Amino acid sequence: MDSDIIIKLNKVNFYYGQSRALTDITMNFRKNKVSALIGPSGCGKSTLLRLLNRMNDLIDGTRVEGEILFEEKNIYAQNVDPVEIRRKIGMVFQKPNPFPKTIYNNISYGPKLTGIGVEDMDTLVEQSLKRAVLWDEVKDILNKSAMNLSGGQQQRLCIARALAMKPDILLMDEPTSALDPISTAKIEELIEELKKNYTIIIVTHNMQQAARISDETAFFYLGNLVEYNKTEKIFTNPDVKHTEDYITGRFG
Amino acid sequence: MNRHTKEIIIKYVFFTFSLVSIVVLGLIVFSLFREGLPIFGKVSVKDFLLGMEWYPTYDPPSFGIFPLIIGSLIVTIMATSIAVPLGVMAAIYISEIAPQGIKEILKSVIELLAGLPSVVLGFFGMVVVAPWLQDTFDLPTGLNIINASMILAIMAIPTISSISEDALYAVPREFKEASYALGATKFETITRVIIPSALSGISTAVMLGMARAIGETMVVLMVAGGAAAIPEGLFDSVRPMPASIAAEMGEAPFRSAHYQALFAIGIVLFFLTLAFNLIADYVSHKFRQIGSGTL
Amino acid sequence: MENIMKSFKNNSMQWRYFKQSIFFGAVRLSAFIIALALGGILFYIIVNGIGAISWDFITKPPTDSMTKGGIMPAILGTIYLTIGAIAVGLPLGIVSAIYLTEYARQGKVIRLIKVGINCLAGVPSVVFGLFGLGFFVIFLKFGSSILSGSLTLGFLILPTIIGASEEALKSVPQTFREASLSLGVSKWQTIYRIVLPNALPGILTGSILGIGRAAGETAPIMFTAAAYFTAKLPGSIFDEVMALPYHIYVLATAGTNIEATRPIQFGTVLVLVAVVLSIDLIAIIIRSYMRKNKRW
Repeated sequence: MDSDIIIKLNKVNFYYGQSRALTDITMNFRKNKVSALIGPSGCGKSTLLRLLNRMNDLIDGTRVEGEILFEEKNIYAQNVDPVEIRRKIGMVFQKPNPFPKTIYNNISYGPKLTGIGVEDMDTLVEQSLKRAVLWDEVKDILNKSAMNLSGGQQQRLCIARALAMKPDILLMDEPTSALDPISTAKIEELIEELKKNYTIIIVTHNMQQAARISDETAFFYLGNLVEYNKTEKIFTNPDVKHTEDYITGRFG
Repeated sequence: MNRHTKEIIIKYVFFTFSLVSIVVLGLIVFSLFREGLPIFGKVSVKDFLLGMEWYPTYDPPSFGIFPLIIGSLIVTIMATSIAVPLGVMAAIYISEIAPQGIKEILKSVIELLAGLPSVVLGFFGMVVVAPWLQDTFDLPTGLNIINASMILAIMAIPTISSISEDALYAVPREFKEASYALGATKFETITRVIIPSALSGISTAVMLGMARAIGETMVVLMVAGGAAAIPEGLFDSVRPMPASIAAEMGEAPFRSAHYQALFAIGIVLFFLTLAFNLIADYVSHKFRQIGSGTL
Repeated sequence: MENIMKSFKNNSMQWRYFKQSIFFGAVRLSAFIIALALGGILFYIIVNGIGAISWDFITKPPTDSMTKGGIMPAILGTIYLTIGAIAVGLPLGIVSAIYLTEYARQGKVIRLIKVGINCLAGVPSVVFGLFGLGFFVIFLKFGSSILSGSLTLGFLILPTIIGASEEALKSVPQTFREASLSLGVSKWQTIYRIVLPNALPGILTGSILGIGRAAGETAPIMFTAAAYFTAKLPGSIFDEVMALPYHIYVLATAGTNIEATRPIQFGTVLVLVAVVLSIDLIAIIIRSYMRKNKRW
C-alpha cells in the first residue's frame, strides 16, 4: 500500500505574510491516479497545488511549516534545489501560457535548457505532442508561432511542453477554466489517457469535472482539508455533512 | 561549478551592479566635497550662503552667493508658475478629454519637447525671445528673468505633464463611473473625483518639475542675463547658480579659491535638488494613490 | 459626496455645462499652447537653419576662426560621446533593472537603491559636469577627454535606462516566468531565454530616449570632454573633441563675430535638433508599432 504513495503531506501550514492560507494539512497522493482538489474560491486548493512544486517560492513573504515528502524526501528541506523538484513535477496553468516562440521551440525549450541529454529532439517533440493529442493538428506548422493556436490547442501544447520533461507528476491548476466546452472535453479525454503513465493532481472548481475524471477527491474549505476520499464516495455518500452541502450546491 | 552556485553568483553580481547608482551618488558627493569644501577655510559658510557680493575675480575676491541663490529661486518659481497650470491642464486634456488620435499626437509632442536639447532652447531664447522682449517693452536687455522663466517653463512642462498624466491615468475607472452614475458632469467628475485622487502624483510632478528647473543650466546661462545682483523687477537680469558654474569654471584657475567656490555652489545645488527629489519621493510614497496608482 | 449632491440642487444644468465648457476650453488651450511652442521653435529653427545646410557644412571642419566652413568635427565628437555614453549606461542600466525586477525582494536595501536612482535622476546636469571634472578628469586623471565625457554622460542617462528597462521587464507577463520555472528551468536561464528577449524591444526604445538626451547635453561635457576648437580629429579616447551642443553655445556667446555667424549657428542648431529628434522619433515609432503588434 505504502509504495503506492508518491506525495505525502505531513501537518503542512502555509502563510502569506501574517495570514494563514492552509491549516494542518495531512494527506497522501497516490501514484498513477487522478486526484482532484475542490472547494470554493479562496479555500486554498490552488495554494496547495503550487506548494507541491515550490511555485509559491516566487511570492514574497510566504512561509511553509510541516513537511511535504516526494519519494520519501522532504522537498522543503534546506539542501533541496526547487529547480530539481520542478523538473520532476510538471505544471499546467489556468490560462494557456505558451511562450511567444514556435510550436517546436515551445516543446524543446525545457529539455534543451535543463540539459537532460536528449538524443533526438525531433522524436521527443513528436512524442510529446502525440501524448497531448495535438500532433495531427500541428505537425505541418511546427515552425509557426504558438500564439496562432486556439486556446484549447495552446493548452494542449502546454501539456505537451510539460510532458517533454518526462515528469513523474503533472499538476494542473484549473486547466480548462479558460476554455470552451469542446476543448474542455478534449483535455478531459487527454487526462484519462495520461493517468496510465503519470500521477495527476488537478485543481478544479467544476464539480462535474472532478466527478468525471478523478479517482480521488479532496474537499477544502477555508484552508482546511474537510474530506479526502474516493471520488465515487465523495459524490454519492460523503462522510462529512459539510462536503455534501457543498456538492449539492447548498453553499459556495 | 554546479548550477545552484552559478545562480547565486549571478544574483550577487547583479546586486553589485544595481548598487552603481548609489555609488555614483556617493562619488558625486565625494568629488564635490573634495574640490569644493576647501573654500570654507577661506569664507565662512554663513558669509558664503548669505553674502551679498559675488566678485570672485576681484582683489580681494568676495564669495557671497546669496544673489545667485535668489536668482535661481526666482526663475524657478516663475517658471513653475507658468509650467504647472499649462502642464497639468494639458495632462488633464490628454488623459481625460482628448480623442484618441489627438491624444497620441500630444503625447508625442510632449516627448519631443522633452527631447529638445537645452542649448537649443537657450539659443532660441537668446536670438528670438530676447530681441522681441527688448523691442516690445523697450528694455535695455531682453536677457532677463521673464525670458529665462518662459524658456525654463518649456523645459519643465514635459516633466510635469507626463508625470501628472500617469497619475491621472491611474485613477481607478470605478471612481469615475461612480461619479458619472450619480449624474455628475465630466467637469465635475474631473475636478471633484479625478484630480483629488491623483493629487499626490500631481504634487510629485510639480516637485520634480521644479527640481528640473532649478538645476537647468544652459537656458539660464544663455538667457538670464548674468547679473550677479538681487533683481528689483522681473525685467532685470539675474545669475542663477548653474549659470555661474558653467560660465566661470572655464576661466577659474585650477584649485583656486574661485574654482573651489564654484564647486561649493555645486554642493548647494546638489543638496537643493536632492531635497526636492526626496520630498517628491516621500510624497509619492506616503500618500500613495488609492487603487492601482503607482509612481 | 454631500458636496456633489448639494451642488446638484443649487446648479441648473445650463450653468453646470457652461462651467464645463469654460474648463474644457482652458485645457484645450493649454495643450494647444504647448504644441504651438514646439511647432514654433522647430519651424523657426528649420526656416533659419536650412539655408546653412550643405554637404560641405556637414563634412568639412570650421575655418577662419570658426566663422566659415563646416561642423564635421563637432558632429563626429557628438557621435563618439553618445556611443561612449551608451557603452557605459546601457549594460549597467539593464543589469540594474534585471536585479530590481527579477531578483530583489521588497526590503530596506531595495528601497534605498530605488531612492538612490530617483535622486541620481534629479542631479542637475551641471553638477554632473562638476562630478565628471572632479572625479574622472582630476581624480582618475583621464583629463578632458572622450572617456571622461562618455562616463559622465553614461551615468547621467543611467536612471533613464534603468527606468525604461524596469518597465519593459515588468511588462513581460508573469505567466511566462511561471511556465519556464515550472519546467525546471533555472531562474537565470528563464531571465536570459524568456524574459530578456521579450523585454528587449521595450528596453531599447525606452533607452533611446535617454540616449537622445545624452546627445543633446551641454553642461556635463563642458568641463569633461568638449573642446572650444580642435583642428585635428581625436586619435584616442583620451583626446578632447568638439561637440554639437557645446559648439552652438560657443558660437552664440563667445565667437569672434556673433552676428556674422548667425547662419552657421542656426545650421548647427538644426543639425543637433535633427539628430536628437530623429533618435527620439525612431523610439516613438518603434514603440507605437510594438504596441499594435503586441501578442500578449
